[in-house]
Amino acid sequence: MTSRRSFLRATLATPLLLASGACGRSSRWQSGAFRKPATSRVAILAAASYTGPLVDTILDGLKLCGVQVQDRRVVLKPNLVEFDPASPINTHPAVVAAAIDAFRTRGAREVVVAEGPGHRRDTEQILLASGLHDVLRERRVRFVDLNEDQVVGLSLQSDFTGLGRLYLPETAVKADLLVSMPKLKMHHWAGVTLSLKNMFGVVPGSVYGWPKNALHWAGIDQSIVDINSTLPAARFAIVDGIVGMEGNGPIQGRARPARVLIFGEDMVAVDATAARVMQVEPSKVPHLAQAGEFLGNVAADRIAQAGVAVDSVWQDFAVIEAFRHLKHG
Amino acid sequence: MNDPLLTALVDARNPDGGWPTVKPGPSTTEVTSLAVMALAAASDPTLGSEIAGGRRWLLSQQQSDGGWPSARPVTESSWMTAPAVLALSTDASSRSAAIQGGRWLLEREGRGLPWYARVWFWMYPQSRTSNLDTELKGWPWSAGTFSWVEPTAYALLALKKVRPALPASRIQARIEQGERLIYDRVCPGGGWNYGNTRVLGESLAPYADTTAVALMAVHDREPREEARRGLRVLEEVMRDVRSGLALGWASLCFDLYGLSSAPWRTRLREQYGQTRFLGKIKPLALAVLALHDGARMVRG
Repeated sequence: MTSRRSFLRATLATPLLLASGACGRSSRWQSGAFRKPATSRVAILAAASYTGPLVDTILDGLKLCGVQVQDRRVVLKPNLVEFDPASPINTHPAVVAAAIDAFRTRGAREVVVAEGPGHRRDTEQILLASGLHDVLRERRVRFVDLNEDQVVGLSLQSDFTGLGRLYLPETAVKADLLVSMPKLKMHHWAGVTLSLKNMFGVVPGSVYGWPKNALHWAGIDQSIVDINSTLPAARFAIVDGIVGMEGNGPIQGRARPARVLIFGEDMVAVDATAARVMQVEPSKVPHLAQAGEFLGNVAADRIAQAGVAVDSVWQDFAVIEAFRHLKHG
Repeated sequence: MNDPLLTALVDARNPDGGWPTVKPGPSTTEVTSLAVMALAAASDPTLGSEIAGGRRWLLSQQQSDGGWPSARPVTESSWMTAPAVLALSTDASSRSAAIQGGRWLLEREGRGLPWYARVWFWMYPQSRTSNLDTELKGWPWSAGTFSWVEPTAYALLALKKVRPALPASRIQARIEQGERLIYDRVCPGGGWNYGNTRVLGESLAPYADTTAVALMAVHDREPREEARRGLRVLEEVMRDVRSGLALGWASLCFDLYGLSSAPWRTRLREQYGQTRFLGKIKPLALAVLALHDGARMVRG
């Protein structure tokens, strides 16, 4: 039995990979529909703790990146997965609080916080347990559960999944500025989970379930790219890297302080920079490599780095065995 | 009608007769189904028009294939067919629609592993990241995807309500396999997560709401050890839970098993007083259902 199995391993592995769709197709987006910037500005700013002057740090980040906020309806999309008091799973409520204050200071017409957790239906419990509900109540900010928001059907603007069309929540689709606020984390299926992967949370559970399993079947990396190519709202990213997660993220990894916040309008460039902060080679992360072809910049020489230098703050984030090849060197 | 939760639920109704997830918002199948059941459980003669209006809204949303979509503009029949069947099965005027929904559920099943993945795992068994029996067919959230605990539990509850009207051998087979799937997905420490039990060798923790719904789906059977342990786990997990959603499901679950739900009902009222369930209508409907002995509405 074992020898027959070994023989089949040798003869069938490549055809199986082909059948599973692991090999690429060509021309998955309309050339001309996307304009990748020649260079992208990304700011890395030091932030030692969650009790520091985070509003000032975020105001500095907005200014360095030159993002337009005045009179815009801003939707902040943190990463809320589930709550474990011992683990840095979610974007810290202090960072969300500071972002609300900073965007209001810069003249936002409205600030809304919105998220659709990926496998927990009980958003009410996550908000209460994580402390985010207190932040929202104190600031009188509306929260939208994107899993249950009104949806609109959109044709996908790239074709990595073959899904053709997705229902997406109106709150995210109609935002003037959609701000992805991920945690700096490794991810056991996608390699890293940053501002692009964070957009999985806009896909409505009411249509696709908890987990959003249709995206798993279509390919996680492929879905990340198609969702991000399709969301029409202007985008900005603020990565919570004050305390990140290494190893078996996004839930069961270990806390790893990096003591930074990372900002930028080009989410691909932000994620490439955040990956470098974790000493991960971004061009080896499949969804970053794919998005880097048409949505934004991955190459370091195409990223205008502001704030502190990557190599002054980078940390050797541990990876699970399957992603050892992502590490620098 | 002097119950503030009941009043709030009635007030949350949309002009079209259905209920949204939050106000303002479009009516959805799941929340309307739970609201109709909750108002019916309240046995208040002044609520007849609200209940009838909710049922009419549900009937207006049924698709030609017998199923229900989630909410407009979605038109594909979905997992929300199960709560609609539950809500419509107890009234003579809507029972035939519920039976059509039951037929749709009978034909709906989760997807197994594709052939190349089966061959791959046969060749590389160490590459399997979970120990689930992927051959078991329960119910998926959306078409063409795996079976998961909550839609399977919802479907089991619904099918058990309309069982006599459906082909006996087919429904028996689906119910038995669905129940096997529920038990296959028990977390190593007891209770239920969303559907996985381990990821990369690490055990997943049970969730209160999923555990309660899974237990409800098998309540009519002689309790297996996993169910008895699940009830103990649910009680433990609930100590740290504050949401109306989990408190509502847990109260209904303990009622179905003949256990005291009094502490959970008290906490439901207290929690509503403190947070208004963050404006969400589904936990409000579940709370009204639980506070008015609504377990009988889902009993098979």
